[in-house]
Amino acid sequence: MPDAIIAEGLSKTFNGSVKAVDGVSFSVKEGEVYGFLGPNGAGKTTTLSMLTAVLGPTTGRATVDGLDVSHNVHALKQRIGLVFQESTADPDLTGRENLDLAAALFGVPLRDTPKRVDELLNRLALADSADRLVKTFSGGMRRRLELAVGMIHSPRVLFLDEPTLGLDPQGRAGFWKIVSDLRKETGMTVFLTTHYLDEADGVCDRIAIIDHGKIVASGTPSELKDRLGGDIVTVRPLGDAAALGPALQALPGVTSVTAQDGTFRVKCPSGDTLIPKVVGAATGLGIGLAGVSLRRPSLDEVFLEFTGREFREDEGPTATDRAVFLSRVQDSRRGRR
Amino acid sequence: MNVRRWSALTKRELLKIVRNPAAIATGLLLPVLYLLLFGQGFNFTSFLNSPYLTPVQRTQLLHQYLLGAPDYFSYFAAGMVGFVGVTATLFVGANVIFDKLFGTLKRTAASPATAADIFGARLVAGSIQPVGLAFLVLGLAILLGDVGLAGLHVTAAVTVVGAGEIVAAILLLSLMFASLFLALGFTIEQPQTYFALVNAINLPVLLTSAALYPWGAMPAWLQGIASYNPITLAVEVLRIDLFGGNFYPYAAWVYLLGLIGWALAMFAVATLLTQRALAPKN
Ligand SMILES: Nc1ncnc2c1ncn2[C@@H]1O[C@H](COP(=O)(O)OP(=O)(O)OP(=O)(O)O)[C@@H](O)[C@H]1O
Ligand SMILES: [Mg+2]
Repeated sequence: MPDAIIAEGLSKTFNGSVKAVDGVSFSVKEGEVYGFLGPNGAGKTTTLSMLTAVLGPTTGRATVDGLDVSHNVHALKQRIGLVFQESTADPDLTGRENLDLAAALFGVPLRDTPKRVDELLNRLALADSADRLVKTFSGGMRRRLELAVGMIHSPRVLFLDEPTLGLDPQGRAGFWKIVSDLRKETGMTVFLTTHYLDEADGVCDRIAIIDHGKIVASGTPSELKDRLGGDIVTVRPLGDAAALGPALQALPGVTSVTAQDGTFRVKCPSGDTLIPKVVGAATGLGIGLAGVSLRRPSLDEVFLEFTGREFREDEGPTATDRAVFLSRVQDSRRGRR
Repeated sequence: MNVRRWSALTKRELLKIVRNPAAIATGLLLPVLYLLLFGQGFNFTSFLNSPYLTPVQRTQLLHQYLLGAPDYFSYFAAGMVGFVGVTATLFVGANVIFDKLFGTLKRTAASPATAADIFGARLVAGSIQPVGLAFLVLGLAILLGDVGLAGLHVTAAVTVVGAGEIVAAILLLSLMFASLFLALGFTIEQPQTYFALVNAINLPVLLTSAALYPWGAMPAWLQGIASYNPITLAVEVLRIDLFGGNFYPYAAWVYLLGLIGWALAMFAVATLLTQRALAPKN
């Protein structure tokens, strides 16, 4: 089976000078959840726009579900679902009317439309507000409606561009739960962008870290963390136990041991299998333990490692800023009516 | 063009029109103000009631200046009814720009809907309602005469064909201007730019037409320009059918042909521009 998404040397240059995406290559297997992680202005939306035929690539090529994004635009649009970074539902229509319209646009058979619309409304907890105008919806309701619109025709590949932007933690968790349930049922492929590291970690099968238009690292979340040198096991012995240091160093898989204030920080690829050995070694030496704790490196550290900095703030207004600004404008307009 | 997509999009446009009656009101504002203020204050043919003029002289002057209309207000009110075809299509272009700002257009453009579906739906929804509004303005202009103000007096026997010609004239004028404003809406990003451009188009088009001026008072060069102006063409159809066509060089259908030409030309340009605006950006 061919990969659901294949990108080869995809590049986009705006106005002849701004290299938004610079030779990106990757592939996503069918049924996989693939995440693009990067700071503001990294080129996430631009990449996603090229994969969904919203933008034409400057150079390079890409196929989605076997269709070339430059040459099969119409067929491609039929097969993919797209949730934009900003809200796109019509504020003057009700939730249901928006979904009916999407069903017509994406060619859901007329007979099946009411059932499909009801199913999605229930699924996304919008059934009670389905007949209210969207301009009265809260941010979370709007995001769920966007997902329903993107899912209306049961797409083979679903693209999500920072879909949880502006949601509170519960809202984000709930949103991702729905996405992963839908994916399990339908087997669709999901391509998402985010700058929430915890989100990428929990949801994605594989991740690419993108910065300045280039992929700087990719792999499964745990692979990426492993590349940092693995987990850190902190061992706190009872009383003075200088003899424990060399014993820990001798354990299989341990890459380094540092002692500080009587506690030992042990680095190793997989901390959970090391802990029993640590306990064994201490017991063998007759040393009591006050505590052992395991810390896995988070994607925050991975990000820092590969891009050399935290999320940067050195750009002009970014797409995220614009989306947040727009949603404020939309809210104020909503309030005025 | 796909019928299901097109009709779903048209339904959306119509729903939006129904839910925003204010948008329609803005289309009526200008013609109604002209009728209630300008037309009342400027109804200069009252001079013709002067006792120094014989009835024959009076009729001659009316024929020479107003091409058979019974008074200036009637002549000018027919012009305002035609002008609705311009003012009531304004918001279709503005809606495109708001849909861009609100992301709705992005959603539609990312769907399998073609430019023809998207443009066609807006064109149909946008040019149906001016016809209704034009008849509202016509009704108002006639009614004004019954409440003691200057009003429009229909002096010809209006036939079914004549009524059909009036509908066709307003529809064609609306189609033309809806195409124009849609093309602007699809190519312009900022509402300010759009409204500035629209104002730069509206007034010159009105002022180079025969909607306001007594024909006989216009200098030859202005008559020359006005003869090709689409508002003039539509208004002349109305005047021929409401006041009789004795003083017009052509029959109503000739003016309708001219309007068809304008509408087709503008439609062609607009579809081209819309197609380009909706294609994947390079
Ligand atoms: N239409 C455009 N014209 C010019 N430059 C653009 C355009 N769209 C994006 N860019 C630039 O390309 C770069 C990548 O933008 P992109 O929107 O892909 O970033 P992003 O990773 O999605 O950021 P965010 O997290 O803020 O959404 C940025 O420097 C941006 O300013
Ligand atoms: Mg983005």
